[in-house]
Amino acid sequence: MTREFDPVKLSVLANAFDGIVREMTSGLLRSARSSVINTARDFSCAVLTADNQLLAAAEGVPVHVFGAGPLGEDMVELHDDIREGDAFLHNDPYMGNSHAADHVILVPIFIQGRHLFTAVTKAHQADCGNSLPTTFFATARDVYEEGALIFPCVRVQRDYKDIDDIIRMCRSRIRVPDQWYGDYLASVGASRIAERRIHELAEKFGVDDLVDFVDAWFDYSERLTASAIETLPEYVLHGTSAHDPFPGTGPDGVHLQATLEVKPKQGKIVIDLRDNPDNLPNGLNLTKATATGAALAGILSGIPENLPSNAGTFRRVEVLLRDGCAVGVPKHPYSCSSGTTNLADRVVNIVQAAFSQIDDGYGTAEGAAGQAPAKSVISGIDERNGNPYVNQILVGGVGGPATPYVDGWPTYQRPVCGALLYHDSVEVDEQRYPILIHERTLVADTGGAGRQRGGLATRVTMEPRGESVTLTYGIEGKLNPPKGVRGGHDGAVPSTWVEDLATGERREIPVVGRYDLQSGEKVVSITPGGGGYGNPLERDVLAVLDDYRESRVSLEAAAADYGVVIADGKVDEEATAKARQERLAS
Amino acid sequence: MSEVQTKPSEARYRIAVDTGGTFTDVVLDSTTGDMAVGKALTTYDRVFTGFEASVRRAAESVGWDGDEVLRNADVIVYGTTHATNAVLTGKVAKTALLTTDGFADTLLLREGGRRDAFDSKAAYPPPYIPRQLTFEINERMSAEGDVLVPLDEEQVREILGSFKEQGIEAVAVSFLWSIINDVHERRIAELIKEILPGVPYTLSNEANPTIREYRRSSAASIDASLKPLMADHLGKLRADLQEFGFAGDLLVVTSEGAVLDVADVLDRPVLLLNSGPSMAPLVGAAAAPDRDTVVVCDMGGTTFDVSLVEEGVVRHTREAWLGEPFVGHLTGLSSVAVSSIGAGGGSIAWIDGGGLLRVGPQSARSTPGPAAYGRGGEEPTVTDACVALGYLDTEGFEGGFTLDREAAVRAIDTRIAGPLKMDTLQAAQAILDVSANHMATAIRQAALEQGVDPRGALIVAGGGAGAMVAAAIGVLLEADTVLIPATAGVLAAYGAHRAPIATEFLSPLHNDTRSFDAGSATRAVGDLTSKANVFAERFNGVGEAPNVTYFVDARYPGQAWDLRVYLDAAPDTAVDAAGIIERAFHEEHDRRNGTHDPDSRVEIITWGVRVEIPRPEHAKEEAGVSRTGEVHRTDSIVFGGESFSTQRYRGVTLAPRDKIVGPAVIDQPTTTIVVPPEWNATLDERSNIYLTRKEA
Repeated sequence: MTREFDPVKLSVLANAFDGIVREMTSGLLRSARSSVINTARDFSCAVLTADNQLLAAAEGVPVHVFGAGPLGEDMVELHDDIREGDAFLHNDPYMGNSHAADHVILVPIFIQGRHLFTAVTKAHQADCGNSLPTTFFATARDVYEEGALIFPCVRVQRDYKDIDDIIRMCRSRIRVPDQWYGDYLASVGASRIAERRIHELAEKFGVDDLVDFVDAWFDYSERLTASAIETLPEYVLHGTSAHDPFPGTGPDGVHLQATLEVKPKQGKIVIDLRDNPDNLPNGLNLTKATATGAALAGILSGIPENLPSNAGTFRRVEVLLRDGCAVGVPKHPYSCSSGTTNLADRVVNIVQAAFSQIDDGYGTAEGAAGQAPAKSVISGIDERNGNPYVNQILVGGVGGPATPYVDGWPTYQRPVCGALLYHDSVEVDEQRYPILIHERTLVADTGGAGRQRGGLATRVTMEPRGESVTLTYGIEGKLNPPKGVRGGHDGAVPSTWVEDLATGERREIPVVGRYDLQSGEKVVSITPGGGGYGNPLERDVLAVLDDYRESRVSLEAAAADYGVVIADGKVDEEATAKARQERLAS
Repeated sequence: MSEVQTKPSEARYRIAVDTGGTFTDVVLDSTTGDMAVGKALTTYDRVFTGFEASVRRAAESVGWDGDEVLRNADVIVYGTTHATNAVLTGKVAKTALLTTDGFADTLLLREGGRRDAFDSKAAYPPPYIPRQLTFEINERMSAEGDVLVPLDEEQVREILGSFKEQGIEAVAVSFLWSIINDVHERRIAELIKEILPGVPYTLSNEANPTIREYRRSSAASIDASLKPLMADHLGKLRADLQEFGFAGDLLVVTSEGAVLDVADVLDRPVLLLNSGPSMAPLVGAAAAPDRDTVVVCDMGGTTFDVSLVEEGVVRHTREAWLGEPFVGHLTGLSSVAVSSIGAGGGSIAWIDGGGLLRVGPQSARSTPGPAAYGRGGEEPTVTDACVALGYLDTEGFEGGFTLDREAAVRAIDTRIAGPLKMDTLQAAQAILDVSANHMATAIRQAALEQGVDPRGALIVAGGGAGAMVAAAIGVLLEADTVLIPATAGVLAAYGAHRAPIATEFLSPLHNDTRSFDAGSATRAVGDLTSKANVFAERFNGVGEAPNVTYFVDARYPGQAWDLRVYLDAAPDTAVDAAGIIERAFHEEHDRRNGTHDPDSRVEIITWGVRVEIPRPEHAKEEAGVSRTGEVHRTDSIVFGGESFSTQRYRGVTLAPRDKIVGPAVIDQPTTTIVVPPEWNATLDERSNIYLTRKEA
């Protein structure tokens, strides 16, 4: 029957649902109160079907939305009295959510008395009540030390009105409660917009058409995905990556691996993440949603075609997870506080880079990760007005992965969200928080050399305006920088120190944790660069010259890494040809 | 036209001209109230040549003398895409940027974000000014405007001194927090005048006094880079006009949906960006000042522009990207909110890997063009679908050549009908349906992003292809009326013809409704009022009495995006200005974002005033002669899969208040209006055509 669904209507309705999600996104961005949502755009919106399949997720952050289906499953499993006007608050990582700092609002949408869709917003909170002022508590030994308020999909609105008990709980345990409530209002507002629009669609097209559309749209997406996979050669890909040592990981860090079976005959890809370490006594553990989301994001990045992000596409991808695995389904009470980032980033990297084993033209290099101080959660009291503040700032990006076609982006934020997030305006940050930002500048020679160069790292230097500012951060990739592929070089390692403003003396700070930056000190934060793709000796000479002129690659690196000899601002073609030939021969 | 008649020589004229990429469109009117429309090819080397040709063509069409029109014009309004194209193609002055130490990458980094996370072929875009022409200066202000690092004049002198040798033609200056304390930027201006006399420069706090360093730096850089170019372009035009004997006012169309004196634009050419699509909405605003919501669509060959007018007010935005979102350039300046999608008569229909019919965004453009143009195009386009269905008159097409129906059918059969197992007409209808749906979605999205419900809105459709699909879009948006302006084919020139003289003044000054600083507020409002008065006085006699509107850009604590709230009167601290602003903000926030927080205080970020000087309209004389609509042919045309015997009218023979019952087609010199069977068409006094649904 799906073949018979009017192709025009199919396209119309697909556009309409995409439009609804974009509208939710725009509304949430404009009305939210915390900068991690309204400036960095660290949130996603989606629409699920009646059977909790991801239908539409335009511009959604991959690790947020690709695992959105189980959130809806939790809602219908836990509540047998769902009705119009309800809204549910869900942030339970042991069920369908990512980490506890992602507050999800689910709004079941009823049409003629039937629950047919669910609107989902998932927004990274400025604070979630952790025992420390951070939403990424990487060193928490378990969920109790982590300390977040956990809401296992609890009803927060009935008949379109707040259930005040829940609101009061949040207000009493979340730092800067007005900020939280403003963000909550913005999330509910966005879901209600979706509800209104879907009602309008149902009036126009009729319920039966909407129901049939869902099947037809998934079938179409599945066909498209199958046809993309059918063009790949049959292959078993194996990828590895390692996370730097953190508290709770042991001295070797976390070694991860994945096996990908590309099965063009079945039009299917299977990713096996089961052969990986057990849950760790820290906050790095992934959740079912983030492990699945990271694997899927890696696939969409690794396959050259652009595929729609929905459950139909994902039918052609099987992700195998194990209970009690650090990159699988977490066992309570292991903490998943950093479960959207560190190991999830590594999983995306393993998968997207593994595709490059197939041939030139597939996969990407590894993208940089980590939460350098330039991207830390900052907190304290603003002495200018006496107001407390807590929020994640995103002043600097990291180096994105080179692809077979283009250089890595310098505005990449991390593998799980690519370059979708925005970064902060220095002026807006200085107005909102008592910090002075001395520089935000790209660093030459940090992008992994390659035919396509890795994205550059960013250096940010900050100083507190008042007595002190508390930074909570976690530097990753010092020992395991983003890998280059197919002859591309690795990205540069991150680096961070604190400097005494008076003496210039440098102090090392821990790789992960909390630092109270005092008056008279500044923190220098250099993120990692992205990995390169392909042999740097094959890089277009003019691209190297342009990189040199634009301070992205130094004279020395142009010669050493790329075999391009530049003199007086021009390429010495003879010397370059010779250097490249010699290097290629050796 | 029954009789050619030359107007008496005392008639005065007004000319509005829009120079697009291909055509220069012109609208003329005279003090007698008559109006004429014309088109000629744009001439790039000397814009006046195409301008003059289009004026002559328009004048001749109503029996006026073109020379006399030009000489006896009181006002010429000039709209140009020259600035936009120069920026998009990088053909601007060699410009250097001076910026605060540590922030040379501001233009490169932009504000982050991208459309598609997984597009492995999307390259990161270069900065507007390359890093090698960006110079970091030792200086720094705090967020409160205190000097943290004094300006290093010696360093500045050295850098400026090197510019001549480097061939720098313009200089942009953008320092952090110059909106709070601009003393360093102003000092640089003095040094430029001293060291590089005659070299144009732009200070960021003058180009766009807004927080967010990227937008301000970008506005300053673009502005400076356009100064030499636009001085030359507008200077030449002015000289040519004067030589011809024109002695009136030369006004220039800006992105704000208004016009300014050519001198103002030469000072701030950044105001010319995106000015092209800013005019069509004015037509919508004028056509239906009392309608709650008017959606104005301008559909040409490749692009479909949508803008919104609410209660006669044209919607503005400060997020208009020049080029693609995230990878183009953003100035943060207020401009008419226009969203564009790749959809037009030339949009190509294709079938994707999943077997789904898609239309656009690729376009056949003018070469090879739609298959029906017979210039070698093999891909079926929306125009081809219109030809196959019989909408377009293959004999009398506006391009001046005949359309090849067979080629259109062949393209549709081969690429669409065959693979989808449909017949030609079904496939053509499907192409049109998908295309209309894209446009309806674009409209809905543009409306909804602004929190406006598009249902029941009045749709105003123009552009070469807009009137063919206007009714179809109306059905999808549940609108019962669609308005096709008399000048639908030259929508932008017509808008320019009506545009008011307008500008904005801003004063970025933080305040809070619960700890209100009445002193600074009073000073800011006083300053804005005197600026508004000085501006208005300059145009004494050119326009009518000025409308002065005060506004604030405000937000709830913690929000990052402020909301512009227009106030009924100048904020007066003697009568609870804080309370009035707070209440107005709650209301506006609820309207836009679906929620508001009545207990919350409101932060004021910027105070502003908009001065608008309407230009007088020439009264339209009563149409004396009654004309009867001439049916020039009866065709068989397919609507919704069914064939209808359909009368084709010649638009020029229709009289005001004529009513045409659908199905019908009205052929006009610059556009084709399709009236489906469920619709009627009625002309108003000014020959605007209203399409109305029969049951409505």
